[in-house]
Amino acid sequence: MKLEIQNVSKRYSKEKYGLQDFSLTLEKGILGLLGPNGAGKSTLLKMIATVTKPTDGMLLLNKNNIVKDPNYMRKQLGFLPQDFGVYPNLNAVEFLSYMAAMKGIGGTTLKPRILQLLDGLNLIDAAYKPIGTYSGGMKQRIGIAQALLNQPKIVIFDEPTVGLDPEERVRFRNLISDLANESIVILSSHIVSDIDTIADKIVIMKHGKLLKTGNPETIIKQIEGKVYETTIIKEKLPEFRKANLVVSTARKDGKLLIRYIADQPIASSVNCTPNLEDAYLYQTKTA
Amino acid sequence: MKSFLNIITYDYLQRTRSYGFLISLCISLAIGYSFVPEPNANYSTIRIGEYLGVYNSAWFGYVTAIMTSVFLSLIGFYLVNSSIRTDVETRVGQIMAATPIKNSTYLLSKTLSNFLVLLTIAFLVFMMSILLFFLYHDARFSLEIGQFIKPYLLITIPSIFVISALAVLSEVICGRFSILQNVGFFFLFSALMVNSSPSNDSNNMLDVFGSKIVLNQMIAMVNEHNGKVEKRDLSIGYVVGSNSALKKFEFNGVDFPPLLIISRLLWVLLSLLLVIGIAPFFHRFDFRRPFKLKKTSDEAISQGNSGHISLLSLPAPQIDYGVAKLLKTEMLLLIRHGKKWMWILNVIGMTFLAFLPIEPAHQIVLPILWFLQVGRLSELTSKEHANGVHYFSFSSYRPLTRLLLSQILAASLLMLLLATPLIIRYAIDGSFIAISSIFLGGLGIVLFAAVLGILSKGKKLFEILFFMISYANINNIPFLDYFGAINHDTAYILKMILIVISLGIVGFMLRNYQLQK
Repeated sequence: MKLEIQNVSKRYSKEKYGLQDFSLTLEKGILGLLGPNGAGKSTLLKMIATVTKPTDGMLLLNKNNIVKDPNYMRKQLGFLPQDFGVYPNLNAVEFLSYMAAMKGIGGTTLKPRILQLLDGLNLIDAAYKPIGTYSGGMKQRIGIAQALLNQPKIVIFDEPTVGLDPEERVRFRNLISDLANESIVILSSHIVSDIDTIADKIVIMKHGKLLKTGNPETIIKQIEGKVYETTIIKEKLPEFRKANLVVSTARKDGKLLIRYIADQPIASSVNCTPNLEDAYLYQTKTA
Repeated sequence: MKSFLNIITYDYLQRTRSYGFLISLCISLAIGYSFVPEPNANYSTIRIGEYLGVYNSAWFGYVTAIMTSVFLSLIGFYLVNSSIRTDVETRVGQIMAATPIKNSTYLLSKTLSNFLVLLTIAFLVFMMSILLFFLYHDARFSLEIGQFIKPYLLITIPSIFVISALAVLSEVICGRFSILQNVGFFFLFSALMVNSSPSNDSNNMLDVFGSKIVLNQMIAMVNEHNGKVEKRDLSIGYVVGSNSALKKFEFNGVDFPPLLIISRLLWVLLSLLLVIGIAPFFHRFDFRRPFKLKKTSDEAISQGNSGHISLLSLPAPQIDYGVAKLLKTEMLLLIRHGKKWMWILNVIGMTFLAFLPIEPAHQIVLPILWFLQVGRLSELTSKEHANGVHYFSFSSYRPLTRLLLSQILAASLLMLLLATPLIIRYAIDGSFIAISSIFLGGLGIVLFAAVLGILSKGKKLFEILFFMISYANINNIPFLDYFGAINHDTAYILKMILIVISLGIVGFMLRNYQLQK
């Protein structure tokens, strides 16, 4: 299983790009996609999901051009879009049966598969209630269930943890770790902690371009020795922000504990172990 | 006051900056173009018996103003009757509900915004009427702009204001059940039209459309021209027949009595008062859930199977590229659309189809029964976007040949199912032309809905046109007879086959283009 994204662009007008000259090769495992709003993450994911077409470049799945033959991808795709809806008049079993029919799967194993998925996602008690009555988190889990209906070889999750509570988030992370043994899993999120512990590979994007790619350790290593913590008085924060890249602030004993990234630390700073969030902010703020 | 005007302005802007509105404007212009036919055309819009007005400014101004008043009231309602629903669907309503805005202010802003939308269309038709004057006018007469402005001001504008308010009232009263609004207005409009007819003895001031006084004046002028007082047939709408064969009379406009002018203002005032009066009953986006779940999601988490899912232990999925399952769910979606009790109306309609004399059953009951499905049909191919399911649908396996096909098949089956009693009666009579017409009509209207749904990504366009077509069907206009109520020949069947095939091809091509994009 190999997905090749070759010099892909999505141009909306002469000067406006959703994605520009993007290249990447993926094999089994989890790819974490990070980037601020408008970075082009969703555009890229929609192209891989064959929902939208690139204006330039090629997308190859096992050497098959999925721009020309989208059904090759669709047969083995599981896709959870960022902003999706449901048919409120159908219950979960009916909706998932409908999704299954769209994906071209059925047979005697379908119903047990749907029920087990609903059970695993803690929706079994509401399985026969109209989806219109579900909470946001429950709808999100229906979305996750539909993505897993067809034993997908490519799974795309765009902001999958929106609306999930902390316990469900942990369960979701375990689930996609299992998936990654057999499939290519692409996971996009604003929340770095959703990605840092499970992704085999990270891609950081901004303004439709690829800023950095590599495994989490390599990306973090690039800011080793540049992350510090210090304490300052509240009034000095604006001035401090101008001179340094502030990662976070916290109140401590009437002062502010600042975590920041700099080549040269200010006096009384303590060097810290960097994490993926530091690396992500460093890449996106300094690019 | 400034914030009130801002609400109206931005609401108006968001509604007019849409592809659907652009299409509506184009259709309005096309309809406006037909309001005063070319002098040798084979149809007329307003005529008094065998008389037609000479083509002077007054004729152009008053005829187009009356036609706009009637037609814009008819289609305008469907164009603007979802402004509150849009706020529900876009979830802007929830934000609005948390602001200090009063219900009455919000509803008035929606009324005025509706009015501005309709006024935009009326203005375009007004411009079109002046253009038509220059195209077709009798050389003896010059342009008198007052003869255009006066009727639009006193006939059209108050009418569309009432309609704007009615749209808001119906949204408040019927909530999110658009089918109730559609059907309710259908009957209300028919009643208002009867009241507006010159043959009705009610007072001119009670005429919402404001056209009765003008039509009575036209009849009086014809009588004066003819030298004797007669009761004359007056036709409004599209009447087939050569204009050149008709006699001419000179119509010079109407001097509106002050009381009538006041009555027109009172209609506007009454509309405003009704909107303010209904404000306390406005839901303010606080909808009760249909029922409460027995267990919340949190309870489910604690009592479920511990939430562990092993993907490898799930039963393996089996390939099934058929459309039967899709067809079944599409049918389910159609059947469950709207309120359950609406099915009682369908059953009543089917009963009428079975027991009424076959001619009215076919001519009147069938188009009404099929029109009752307007909500179902209008969402046939736009529901993916409306419900946010389009990413799933468009990334499904062969969405064109499997999903679209099953949608069209399901809706066609529904239409034929509703027409079954009539089909059986015709089968007993051996009238296979009529059966073919019903089959083709059902399939044709479904394909028409599919094409317009794909084209506009919404349901409005189809709703408006289907209403107009159904209204024309009930009034026996042969041109729009899509289900063979008036036409019973082979040529008609061949024409319908051609239309159905063309619509099918266009539908599949449009969806394919949408998927390619």
